[in-house]
Order: sequence, then structure tokens, then C-alpha cells
Amino acid sequence: MPAHEPIIRVENLDTHYGDKQILDDVSCEIARGEIFVVLGGSGCGKTTLLKHMTGLLSPTSGGIYINGQNIADLSEDELARMKQGIGIAFQSGGLFNSMTVGENVALPLREYRLVDSQLIPAIVRMKLSLVGLVDAENLLPDALSGGMRKRAGLARALAADPPVVFFDEPSAGLDPIMASGLDELILELRRLLGVTFVIVTHELDSIRAVADRILMLDKGRVLFQGSVAEAESSGIDRVQQFFERRPDTHIAQRNL
Amino acid sequence: MTLHRIECPPELNLETGRDIFNDDSIDAVRSGDECLIDLSQTSKMDPHGGAWLIRMAQAVRNKKASVRWEGESGQVAELMTLIEPGLLDEPPPPAREPGYVEQVGGITIDVIREGREMFALLVDAIYWTLLAPFEGRGFRWSHFIDEVHDMGAKAVRITFLMNFLLGLTIAMLSAAQLRTFGLSIFVAQLIVIGFARELAAIMTAVVVSARTGAAITAEMATMVVQEEIDALRGMGLNVTQFLIAPKLLALLVVLPCLTAIGMVAGILGGLCWGVFVLGFRPQIWLNETLAAAQWNDIGQGLLKSLFFALAIVLIGSHNGLRVKGGSRGVGRMTTRAVVMDIFMIIVVDMLFATFFYFTVG
Repeated sequence: MPAHEPIIRVENLDTHYGDKQILDDVSCEIARGEIFVVLGGSGCGKTTLLKHMTGLLSPTSGGIYINGQNIADLSEDELARMKQGIGIAFQSGGLFNSMTVGENVALPLREYRLVDSQLIPAIVRMKLSLVGLVDAENLLPDALSGGMRKRAGLARALAADPPVVFFDEPSAGLDPIMASGLDELILELRRLLGVTFVIVTHELDSIRAVADRILMLDKGRVLFQGSVAEAESSGIDRVQQFFERRPDTHIAQRNL
Repeated sequence: MTLHRIECPPELNLETGRDIFNDDSIDAVRSGDECLIDLSQTSKMDPHGGAWLIRMAQAVRNKKASVRWEGESGQVAELMTLIEPGLLDEPPPPAREPGYVEQVGGITIDVIREGREMFALLVDAIYWTLLAPFEGRGFRWSHFIDEVHDMGAKAVRITFLMNFLLGLTIAMLSAAQLRTFGLSIFVAQLIVIGFARELAAIMTAVVVSARTGAAITAEMATMVVQEEIDALRGMGLNVTQFLIAPKLLALLVVLPCLTAIGMVAGILGGLCWGVFVLGFRPQIWLNETLAAAQWNDIGQGLLKSLFFALAIVLIGSHNGLRVKGGSRGVGRMTTRAVVMDIFMIIVVDMLFATFFYFTVG
């Protein structure tokens, strides 16, 4: 595989829920080691795009290539193996309530059987110290705060050292200190471990802090693709509006 | 005290990490020694390398020796700063198992506390179901109608079938015994008395506790988990009034009705065996049945079913509202509720039997 091959390539993706079209001709490429942010207003199809990239949904038409391979062509086993190479951190953690935080992080390691079982506790401790949760190892998820759950979810996503990590709304619902700490952590993980991040968010501060490139969706279409600086000087009104936090007129009217 | 120096290779990864971990140098560490991890040669470290260092630090600490490191630079230094908490502290020890006396005490306290909670819920539920509506404090009649449909109308078929089959079985068993004396006709009486007093009430209550009791717990527990109960309380609505009272009144109405259906079904089951297998004429069997049927016995069965209804709704709600720990907790509480239901049904039944034995006879 050539080194310049993007780690994820999405080509002309169309998708529907029932009759309703959610994504309309979306294409993008994500390079190795990049922090790629998908953004847009609520209900624009961000999370749907993420689900397609992680193989949780299959598209109406178009293709998703991971490491140059179309995931629609993969058999169930191959798809499962492909998923071992990606980590997903869910919006509210997605932790298993019946297991401790440490067991949650250990789960993919035990199931994939990629490493020595005697090394697993050490890996778990390491991933938890990366996200600052060493002391929470033996706690159950319901004893954690929202921010801690999110970080524990990230630790689990990182457990098997996947080259790509998908992160749904990393800073939603967190206090500014915790949110910027998490941004810092994302940058550090990319720098030290070379992890590629695909992040769905609409927190402006977070986007400015971490994003190499952004993809902006509006009503299922690609509105803009490029760096944050390019977006802010793009002259596309809808993009400008997003970055200036300008409300739509009809909501403004309703509020009056 | 000796100083053990462990030199790390230029690249620390899964293989090289394992090599230095399996090296003899760690075996040589004794209590009170100091271990120095020398990272000055290392220019690259991956997550597995880091994990081996943590493993090593744990092994050294288990021997009551101390560990420190030096010479790290660049990427290695940054990664070491990130994983430092994992290298330094021990994982907090899991909670100590309580001793025997402590356990007995704990269980006693739990039982007393739970008993109190149940009693409070009982008082609350009775007030909101039987008294508050007459004080004009509101009752959700529409919800009550829905519950009657759910708990009652939809349970008729299964209640009928279970009791019918039980009637058939009892007739079968008792006929085999009574035939030797030529008294098979008394099976009709036995079925009537048995079903009126005990069997219909118990069988129906067991069916309903598995259907409705489990549903109440699962519903309430999910509402707690999803913060719906908090939302209700936050709106200033009373949970007992809003959720429990309509269910309680519905089951108080429905369970005696189902029990009555159960009695009829049981008797029909017995009649089938009597007519088709034992060869009695239906008229004779019916006469015998009606002669044995007494309001006294039927009243006992119906009265009991009211208490069963109370137990099922209270145990269901109580367990649902006590849920802890998400999806797993919902399952655990539902199991607990059904077990408690069936246990309470048997206990209540025994109390009634004792009471009637000494009073009515």
C-alpha cells in the first residue's frame, strides 16, 4: 500500500433513512496522522457519516475505503478484523455498566487476543493514565461523572492501539477546563503515537484547537472542506455564520 | 540495599519490552532494593513498550522495592510524563471482604431498612389509591383503564389455560387414588373446594406476578435509569400517585376477576377429565360440583387475591425504584421482584390458611 494512500476515503456517499435522504454525494479523504473534524448544525448527518465510516451502517450508494479497501466488499469476518483497527469513543462513553472501568478497557484486548494476557493489566493502567483515570480502575461506570465516562470511553477506544480513533462529540457537556484538557490530550496522542482522529463536534473552540482539516455538512451535503483558516475566509455565508455564531433569522424572530 | 540498573534498548516495543522484562535482573531484586530504569539509550517507545515498563514497575513494587527512571528525552520523555501515574501508584486495592459478624449486621440493617421502605410505600400507595381520590386530589383514570386492559384483559387466555391444565392434572391424580374406593365422583367436590380456596388464587397470582410484576419492575427501573422518575419529582408530581396508584387499583380490580376465571377454568378442566375419561354424565358431575361450591370457600380465594394484588404491585414498584447500576441493575431487580412475589404469595397464603383453620375450619 503506498504511503500517500489516505487511511479513509469516502466516495460519493448517498444514504437514506426510509425515504428521507440523510447524506447526499459526500466525498472526503482522511490522511494518516491527521485530525479531521466533521462539523455542522444539529441533524446535518454528522453522526450518520461517522457510522458509515465505522461500518455500523451501509450506504445506499457510494463507497467507503479504509486502507484502500472498500468495506462493502468485505466479508463479515474481514469487517470484524477491520474494526479491530479502529477505535470508537462514544458521546456518553458507551461503557458496559456491569464491568469496572478497568475491565471495560481490557475487554477489546482480551477479545482480540493480540497481546500476552499477562501484559493486559499493565496496558489497561497505561491507557487509563493517558486519560488521567488511573484511580478509577476498579470503579463501576455509574460512579463516574460525565467527563470521566467520556475519557474512560476514549481509553477503551485506544486499548488495542488502533491507527484511527473516531470520537463523537468529545467536548459536548464538559466544563471548559476539562474540554480543553481533552483537546490537549487528542493533540498529544496524535503527536506521540501517530493516531489519526476523526472527530464529530460543533464546539468552535475545540475545532480551532485541534482540527487540521474540517468537513462541514449542511442538510446532508458537503458545504466546505479544508483548514479552519480557509473556512473562516471562505466567503461561504453558511460557513461564516457557523464560525461567527450568528443565529438564523427565524430563530431570532421567534426569540423576540 | 542494592541498586539495580535496567538498561532499555534504543527502541522500546512489544518484543524488546518483553526481553527486558524476562531478563534475570528483575528476579535479582530483593525487598528494599532500588530499581533504576535507564532510558538514555531509548529514542522511541510505543504503547506496548510503555505497558511493559508499567508491568516491570509493578513486579518490582510487589517485591517491596522502589522504582525510578532517568535519562529519558524527546518523545520518550513526553510519553513517560503521560503514563507516570500508572507507573507510580498501585491500583487501589479492591474493597475488603466483610467478616461474619459484619455480614450478619449488614444484612439485618438492610432487611430492617427495606422493611421500613416497603411499609412507607404501602401506606403511601393505600392513601393515594383508596383515600386521595375521595379528597379530590386526583387519580389518573385513563391510565387505570389502560392498566386494566394490559394486566387483565390480555391475561385472560393464559390464566384460563394454566388453571384448566392444573384442573385436569389434579383430577387425574386424585381420581387414581379415589378409584380404589369407588369414590371417583368425589373428584368433582375436591376440584371445586381446591380451586375455590387455594389453587385458582395461587396459580393466577403466579401467572400475574410473572407477567405484570416483572413488567412493573422493569418499567420503573428503566424510568429511574433514564431519569424519568427524577423528572416527575422535579415537576412536583408524586410518583406514587402518578405511577403506582393506577396500577394498584387496576390489579385490585383485575386479580379477583382473573381468579374467578381461574376457578371456572379449573373446574372445567376437572369436568373434562370426569366426563371424557372417568365416564360420568355431565349433569351428575355438575350437580356434584354445585353441591360442593360454597360462598365461604369462594370468598376465601377472592379475598386472598386482593392481598396478592397488593403484594405484586408493591414489590414490583419497590424493587423498580431501588435499582442501581444501569442495564444490569434492571435485570437484577426484575429477577428479585419475581422471586419476592412468589415467596410473598406463598407466605400470604399460609397466613390465610392458618387464620381460616382456627376460625372457619
